[in-house]
Amino acid sequence: MSVRRPFEYIGEAIRAGFDWAGGISLLLGRALLRGVQRPWGIYDVFNQIVALGIRSLPLSTLMGVFVGMALTWQFGEALMGFGAKNAVGSAAALALVRELVPTLMALTIGAKIATGVTAELGSMKVSEQIDAIASLGADPVKKLVWPRLVASTVTLPLLNIYGNVLALIGGAFIADIVFDVPAEYFYETYIDELYPMDYISGLVKSFTFGLLVGLIGCYQGFQTKFGTEAVGISTTNTVVATSVAIIVFDFVLTTIFLPVG
Amino acid sequence: MAPIIELRNVYKRFGDNIIYEDMSFGVEPGETFTIIGGSGMGKSVCLKLMIGLLPYDAGHVLYRGKEVGDMDAENLRELRRNVAMVFQGGALFDSMSVFDNVTYALREHTKMSDQEMLERARECLDMVGLGYDKEILYRMPASLSGGMRKRAALARSIAIKPEVILYDEPTTGLDPANIERIGHMIRKLQKELGVTSIVVTHDMPIAWKCSNRVAMLWQRKFPYIGTPDEIQANPAPEVHEFINGIYHEDQD
Repeated sequence: MSVRRPFEYIGEAIRAGFDWAGGISLLLGRALLRGVQRPWGIYDVFNQIVALGIRSLPLSTLMGVFVGMALTWQFGEALMGFGAKNAVGSAAALALVRELVPTLMALTIGAKIATGVTAELGSMKVSEQIDAIASLGADPVKKLVWPRLVASTVTLPLLNIYGNVLALIGGAFIADIVFDVPAEYFYETYIDELYPMDYISGLVKSFTFGLLVGLIGCYQGFQTKFGTEAVGISTTNTVVATSVAIIVFDFVLTTIFLPVG
Repeated sequence: MAPIIELRNVYKRFGDNIIYEDMSFGVEPGETFTIIGGSGMGKSVCLKLMIGLLPYDAGHVLYRGKEVGDMDAENLRELRRNVAMVFQGGALFDSMSVFDNVTYALREHTKMSDQEMLERARECLDMVGLGYDKEILYRMPASLSGGMRKRAALARSIAIKPEVILYDEPTTGLDPANIERIGHMIRKLQKELGVTSIVVTHDMPIAWKCSNRVAMLWQRKFPYIGTPDEIQANPAPEVHEFINGIYHEDQD
């Protein structure tokens, strides 16, 4: 019995994982199927873009500027040892645009969006508001999931572009002040290092992360059981699921894009 | 007369928790049918089965002879246009004003103009006793008291003029005057508009005053169904103890 128990736990965990993946895929399928039917709910989507995107601007600003400054400082220090501090723009560009800005943006802003969505939908679930939408003849997936899914998928790439610009400004500031590399020179070497595929890979990543974040946030919200404690549990699960999904998909997309770049 | 809603040999369970076993009853058009029974036995589940909010494991749930479990999205939408539900806590949408809440189903199912919707919303709020507050249409649910939220939810359910209304504990948490008002409204909707009402309640005075028939949930079925007089005269100890609120210390 005691020998079997660990295997039972592993089996149970694998089954729960498949259940979760199946449930989330079904929700995506239903959202896409219902979302493309008229009416498209443009007003709801716009509202969600404002709620999820515009309100994330302060955090995005902070994240963009500081990641640009920190990474440029790190690279600058390392390159100074080789007497190559002028290459700091080239070195920072790829790491920031391809990897750090989209991934960190998803881990911070994405997690904020996902937990917010889970908490909102979870509260609606426990107070029977989701049942009320269905009982009034509307479709909760169309009304609640579709606008949030579209908004997060649109918002994260836009915030990624915004974050990239700020990371460049932050990097140029550090290059100029700390390493005495003129900001104009930093900018030129930074831009010269980048090819269209680098921007595309960053945007594809943030698009994928946006979709994952919206989907996980909505799914966990809909899965909330009973009581306010359940909302807390769902929100915590969302943070874990979002972080794991972003890290895994980041690796997968990196392996896809690296040979291309 | 054929029942408007019928549950026939229904089985329902949540995991290991069996809610219904071979449970059956029917509701006649135009009657007020009240469901009573102990807390946590699954009275609200019954209402959710009727409009397809929860699936059943076996048996039949029929609305005008049509199987609810077999309905597609369009048929379910039509069912829910005709059968409205008032939730226990009101379930008003927090992000919308009272006006948007009350007219939600109108926007989903009709092409009424804003002016027509405004008039309908006022009429419904008058009916539930909230018409005195001229600003209520523009207030958010968070600014309403518990009783007002419940009555606004009631207004939302009647706005579309359904033929059946399912009430999940409509009087819980209300003061005596508002309990009386809700009871009066249920009777008025039945008399004037011929609305069929299915009421889940613990409030026995309301059950006796409003109902044509009362059904008591006991051991996963409804073995006791009858007029209020018949239920009150029922000699079964579980019925007698429940309706009179008799408590035995040895039950603890």
